[in-house]
Amino acid sequence: MALIRGRDRGTGAAIFTASMADIVFLLIVFFVLTYKVEVDKTQMSLPETWIRKKVPEKAAVISIAPPSMGSTIRVSTGEEMALPVATIEEVITFASTEVAKNPNREFILKADKNSPYGRVDEVLDALKQSKVKYIFLLSEQLTAEEL
Amino acid sequence: MNIKKKDIASEIFTGSMADISFLLIIYFMITSAFSATRGLDFALPEETDTPEIKQEDSIEVHVLPGGAIEVDKKDIPIDGLLPYVLEKLQQNPEKPVILRTDPDATYGDMISVFDRLRRANEEWTDDLGNPLYKDVNGDPLVEIKTISIPTQREIENIWNLLGMG
Repeated sequence: MALIRGRDRGTGAAIFTASMADIVFLLIVFFVLTYKVEVDKTQMSLPETWIRKKVPEKAAVISIAPPSMGSTIRVSTGEEMALPVATIEEVITFASTEVAKNPNREFILKADKNSPYGRVDEVLDALKQSKVKYIFLLSEQLTAEEL
Repeated sequence: MNIKKKDIASEIFTGSMADISFLLIIYFMITSAFSATRGLDFALPEETDTPEIKQEDSIEVHVLPGGAIEVDKKDIPIDGLLPYVLEKLQQNPEKPVILRTDPDATYGDMISVFDRLRRANEEWTDDLGNPLYKDVNGDPLVEIKTISIPTQREIENIWNLLGMG
């Protein structure tokens, strides 16, 4: 004889998701506030260093691509995407213009660790000729100890 | 006659909000994780206060291709650099260190030597920042006061001035 069963009472296991939206928005706000646009996206191996100081935001950027990418030099004011320059004279013109606007303008030099020093020397010389006072040599995110 | 009003609830569709939010989080996480924000700083001297440096009054560090170094024309292992500089600065703490790099050496070679010189402060002080060494005058010696990185053009100019060009 078949038993007459009562109505099933569902006791399904549910994950409480009501606070998920709050957490997600909190994370979005955090990332939006801390997000810094990378003006130069050239892929390169930066040198590892022990001494690592925070580079100033909005500093002008000069990058030297790895030899495998033609050691191309790119410049950026720090607010717009980096543009390639053809000659070292253009670096001098760019740096001189920035220094004329602000004599204490800081420059970040981003160069591949395998770049020949002669190429870096040309850029450093251009910055010296442009009367640049403060230069930051960008290094790897991890310290030499962590690597 | 009574006409029944149909209540139409005004709602904003939020079903896709979670997808958009997660997409934004993933975008910000990926793009911000790869931006390097730290490095070595150095200040270039202003022309007005550039002292004239005589070669015999300085410590000359020459970075060779391959990363080896010569200090005052002597081959010295990289680990021996700071002890050598310390010994010289104890005699004359004002001595500048001139870092010259061969154009055929790599930028990484130059940075590793420059970084080593900048670590003098860490090596010459204890955990509390107290100086471990003193100079000939009895003053604490905690750092290299001047590290100069002349460019190839500046070196050539000096040679031309000396009639060696």
